Amino acid sequence: MKAALIGAGQIARQHLACLKTLPGVDLVAICDLSPATSEAAADRYGIPAWFTDHRAMLAKVRPDVIHVTTPPTSHFRLALDSIDAGAHVIVEKPVTPTFEELKTLVGRAQDAGLHLVEDHNYLLNHAPQEILRRIKSGEFGAVTHVEVLICLDILGPDGFADPNSPHPALTLAGGAIADFLPHLASLAHLYVGPHRAARTIWTKRKSSPLPYDEFRAVVDAERGTASLGFSASSQPDAFWLRVYGEKMQATTNLFETRLTFDGPRAVPKPLRPLFSGLEEGKTIRRAALTTLLRKFKGPGAYEGLWELLARTYRALADRSALPITASDVLEVNRLVDALKPQEQRP
Amino acid sequence: MKALVTGASGFLGRHVVRALLARGIEVRAMVRPATRLEGLDWSPCVEVFRADLRTSRDLARALEGVDVLLHLAAVVSGGEDAQFAGTVAGTERLLEAMAASACQRLVLCSTFSVYNYSAISGTLREDSPLHQTPDLYDRDGYTISKWWQERITRRFAEKYGWDLIVLRPGFIWGRDQGYLAALGQQFGRHHLVIGPLTRIPMTHVENCADVFALAAADGRACGQTLNVVDGPGERIWTYLSDYMRGSGNRGWRLPVPYWLAIMMVRLGFATVFRAATKVPSILIPRRFESRLKPLHFENRKLRETLGWTPPLNYQECLVRTYGPAAPTAVGRLYRATLVEAE
Repeated sequence: MKAALIGAGQIARQHLACLKTLPGVDLVAICDLSPATSEAAADRYGIPAWFTDHRAMLAKVRPDVIHVTTPPTSHFRLALDSIDAGAHVIVEKPVTPTFEELKTLVGRAQDAGLHLVEDHNYLLNHAPQEILRRIKSGEFGAVTHVEVLICLDILGPDGFADPNSPHPALTLAGGAIADFLPHLASLAHLYVGPHRAARTIWTKRKSSPLPYDEFRAVVDAERGTASLGFSASSQPDAFWLRVYGEKMQATTNLFETRLTFDGPRAVPKPLRPLFSGLEEGKTIRRAALTTLLRKFKGPGAYEGLWELLARTYRALADRSALPITASDVLEVNRLVDALKPQEQRP
Repeated sequence: MKALVTGASGFLGRHVVRALLARGIEVRAMVRPATRLEGLDWSPCVEVFRADLRTSRDLARALEGVDVLLHLAAVVSGGEDAQFAGTVAGTERLLEAMAASACQRLVLCSTFSVYNYSAISGTLREDSPLHQTPDLYDRDGYTISKWWQERITRRFAEKYGWDLIVLRPGFIWGRDQGYLAALGQQFGRHHLVIGPLTRIPMTHVENCADVFALAAADGRACGQTLNVVDGPGERIWTYLSDYMRGSGNRGWRLPVPYWLAIMMVRLGFATVFRAATKVPSILIPRRFESRLKPLHFENRKLRETLGWTPPLNYQECLVRTYGPAAPTAVGRLYRATLVEAE
């Protein structure tokens, strides 16, 4: 299967490193507006052709799969051109700035018999998958509620809040936080299904080029409720996911390998906190070590992206169900759309 | 003569602006939009042009009426991709603007980091081996981006027939930048001194700025690639002592022979870290060598080509770096040097 990338920036590195390891995948071309960026990526990853014009690349190499790894405001045009050129498309999140554009893309892909996948990478990380496994096995009980809170300092001068060069994400409704909404929405969707209603609070605590730096939402969904949040001020950096079931509760920090469960125990009730605490402590100590070790090798917190790409290519080759379907992408983005602020601050 | 200086508010750039003025060259200083100019102590005749090479749309205007471009801007913080985008893609955009202008002369600030220390023994000279791909990508983000920056700049210069001068400074030091990566490994206040007798390829920021101003104006520099060091360099132990005295650092110093340290790093790499993809630089043999390998350094080509000698000797540099601040003295020194030269 012939794969090509449009966009050779930061997240492209994860796609490229993963694609080089996948059996049956030929990385045939890469494209970036900057010739040197494109050429350097081709040089580094042994890609036979590099381009600065995506249409020229699509016409010349006719890839089976295109990865769109550019800033989000360019996704719609690039994905549309890729579909029109007959390629399945894997798009980085957020897939498009508006839900209408997404519906257009999905419709065009379905008409052409092609797939459109948005990178909901954290769904495929080990911890969310282990929680899902226990839910499916019945030991977790039905999910009642899910909490997702990302605490991440994005106010430093090198990234979203760069005072010299406005970050492309700032043009999205919600600004930089909009870049994280697909993570929040996809995790909520995974455990409690399509949403019915959502209430949001968008605020700004600190002076910066960002329109908002705090976000909270409460979501009513078909199989339960969710509370979602993003905080640029709360430290240390963490990506908390808590899933509440009728028999069990799970807590994980997706920036690390920590995953703890608390459920039924065959001990007298007064001893429950002691046994829970001891087991949780042991699990956290072990996770601290594995978190350190994974810094030395592999994709780290991007493990879900690698898994997503591996499963997606397998499914494309086998013509079986994709790990992220068009229906998932639409449902998640219907929630993302509902979470966006009604008005953008200046 | 009018010069455009990119990265003008940076550690080296702010001194290059003053050195150009001291040589009677008009200066347009490119600084990023949010840069604060207080404390730069520039003459009012410096024309400030605000732009960011990554995104600004009017770079062509920056080159209007310019005779020589001194390109010093580089992104030295953030991740590898941010450095590449800022340094390499930014350079592409700047040079595309230059190609549309009448400016035909370019001085590029490169670095010693482009040399492949692992392949060099004895004296490091301008014709010593450079990194080659794909081994280049084992190096740090700064090295990768500066290597690509030099590569694309040479391509542009060849394509458009520009007069290109590539200056490769060693470790640049000066006030507020006294600590050098060549000093070994710091643990809080304490230092592991690897190869204490190794010499450091160093150039004081005011001496280095003087070379840039000279290269911008002197026709003998055209087409040359020149290493910029003040001389053979001080020994690590000597400079570290001066640094600790000057900065008031009172930590311990533990000397370790270079051969022992590199042997341990190689052993650790071969047994533990070879399969790892993310390892601290000091534990990767090739990166370790590029920081600490004992080589000889010289500035013979710089002296022979431009007749340059450093305006400041080592003792004067120490005073400039660790003594009381006297910003106006810098300009006076350059003027005095100029008068002497005349």
